[in-house]
Amino acid sequence: MRWVRLVPAFTSVGAHFDREVLSALDKAGVSADLVLTHVEREDSVAVTAVSARITSGLAPGTEIDPPVEGRCARFPGQSILTGVHHVAEIVEATAIDEVVGIGAAVTPDTRVDTGGFVRPEYRDGLLVLLVEPAAGGVFQPAEVEQPHECCAGSH
Amino acid sequence: MSHHHHDGHEHHHHEVEPVEGSWQDPADDRPIAVARRRFLAGLGVAVGGAALASAGAGEAAATPLPTNRWGTPQRWYAGDHHIHTQYSGDGQYTVSQQVAKAREHGLDWMVITDHGGVAHQKFSLDQVTPDIEKARRSNRDVLVYQGLEWNIPGAEHATVFLPPDRHTVDILRAFEAGYDGGILSTAVANGGKGLITRSTSADGEPYALAALRYLESQVLSGRTEIALMFANHPSRRGVDSPHELRGWRDAAPGVAVGMEGAPGHQAAGISKASGGRGGARGYYDSSPGVDSHPGYAPSATENPYRTYGGFDWMTAKVGGLWDSMLAEGRPWWITSTSDVHQVFNDTLTPGPQDYDKTGSKGAPVDSGVKQTGFGDFFPGFYSRTVVGSRSRSYVDVMRGLQAGKVIAVHGRLIDGLDLRVRALGEGDNQGVTLGGRTFVKRGGSVEVTVEVTGAGGPNFAGVVPRLAKLDLIAGPVTGPVTDRDTLSAPGTTVVKSFEVTKNRSRFTYVFKDVPGPFYLRVRGSDGRKLTSDGGPVMDVIADSDPWSDLWFYANPVFVDVI
Repeated sequence: MRWVRLVPAFTSVGAHFDREVLSALDKAGVSADLVLTHVEREDSVAVTAVSARITSGLAPGTEIDPPVEGRCARFPGQSILTGVHHVAEIVEATAIDEVVGIGAAVTPDTRVDTGGFVRPEYRDGLLVLLVEPAAGGVFQPAEVEQPHECCAGSH
Repeated sequence: MSHHHHDGHEHHHHEVEPVEGSWQDPADDRPIAVARRRFLAGLGVAVGGAALASAGAGEAAATPLPTNRWGTPQRWYAGDHHIHTQYSGDGQYTVSQQVAKAREHGLDWMVITDHGGVAHQKFSLDQVTPDIEKARRSNRDVLVYQGLEWNIPGAEHATVFLPPDRHTVDILRAFEAGYDGGILSTAVANGGKGLITRSTSADGEPYALAALRYLESQVLSGRTEIALMFANHPSRRGVDSPHELRGWRDAAPGVAVGMEGAPGHQAAGISKASGGRGGARGYYDSSPGVDSHPGYAPSATENPYRTYGGFDWMTAKVGGLWDSMLAEGRPWWITSTSDVHQVFNDTLTPGPQDYDKTGSKGAPVDSGVKQTGFGDFFPGFYSRTVVGSRSRSYVDVMRGLQAGKVIAVHGRLIDGLDLRVRALGEGDNQGVTLGGRTFVKRGGSVEVTVEVTGAGGPNFAGVVPRLAKLDLIAGPVTGPVTDRDTLSAPGTTVVKSFEVTKNRSRFTYVFKDVPGPFYLRVRGSDGRKLTSDGGPVMDVIADSDPWSDLWFYANPVFVDVI
């Protein structure tokens, strides 16, 4: 399997960015089982780059070595996570290797309300999902799909 | 943003390498030297903490001048420096409605801070100015400042404001046109300047420093008596990096004086089950983005993107970013505000006017239905910034803010706080209060007395809150950091927690055998939500009742050693 790196022309972040990247890959007829985003700060203006592990299709972008870290926008088993799931199920049924609670430990029985939006971190080949306490005795991923946008997101 | 800067000149502050204005200039032992150093410090020349850390031989002759002397006649004035109106694209209220609410809730001063941007600069400014002047005339007992919520180029938002004077509007207009991140990042074709990539991208950082120097130059040239800037909701999106906060402070130390210790929007975390929005307290529900500082990383132990007991992570974390700035020995004050746009359970909704074309939403529309999805409180309803001032005048209240005589209070947790820090034995025996700077002979003792008065009546939730505990926090002053992105002060700890059982209490603590310069500060809690080590708990998204988790934070006192 090959990894490729792309720098999309559009500059948005979060769920909106992910959607554009993933649909661009799909439209190009490329299958990628792992898609990561990376903030690159080499120049004065940071950019979001994408690396994708290609399973089939002719991928755009340049070929690279497997990345060390990133924020994961697509991973095997992601589509299963649509609602509330136990930590044990998340680890067993998806590529996520570990679920880590922020400020509170989780157990295999801990329920995580995914809201259908899961963005684990990729660290040295492992996928780690950070979750935090949420309303109703469950946990939720630390990254939510639609964080509040001040002044309608214009700035 | 995240771009790393290392200012070379900050690296050389040791005794053997005198820099301009250093306390370690061996040739300069004149009594006037201290005054001269203060003068330089006021101009932002690299002096201060580093020298304090190593002050010793050769300095004994000079007696430092304390600031914010304890016992100086002053009164306390409650206010709010972050208020939106119909002249913000996401606001709705008229100026007069906001002033009436502030007055109803007992505020003495308030700042109108609509969002900067192309439409605001072009259309709103000329509409809000007469509204503010009218509100001043009809509410003589509330100081109504004109300000701006500035999009700091490369970073978050900030309150910028001036006292009313002949040039106030001209200065604000020029400042916004020249330096608002929204205008700088908007394409020329759309009425902006097209000079930076995004409002929060790091190519904006030099503009932020130039902006603050511009304001300072307006003060130095006498066009305004004072101008202040407070960074708003600093951790919300992680885009105020530590080096930017330090950069603003050092670029214009008389202007950039602090940040919101607690953001507004405190009703946003009320659960849906309790009839609330079910959002995040303070609207702090974000995660790292492209312009976030990489050091702000959620981990198993913390999430910098959340509030803690309603306060911003930078302020709430003992030994965190705020403490790391104070440990440099330089002022940086905290406040708490409403950031009111749309009020929880109000029936008013935004007017229908096209903001981009007119700079106003028009008059708000009464929907007749309580808006449970709104996340804010009216000015003075929950958050107060209490300021010690000589008089109830526009300039004096701003001087109190500038001097750090400031307490940030939620939900009327306390009605009064008298902090006195003084030397026992050789040193400053009268002592100083909040935001002040005092001194003691090396090896001497420093006495801290805190007199705290609990709420004398119910808050606006109809409950008389009860202060349960007081934390005395202190840490060594270690001088300017070499890494400008430093975000921790490992030497700062809670040195003593006092249990509060009476409505009026007095606590004393003595720092003995003081080895070097340090600072201290006080915070208090209703004790209803505490971690195992007595700190504030990370607020849970969609389940944070602001009234059952009350804190106050007071600004620090610095102690020099002679």
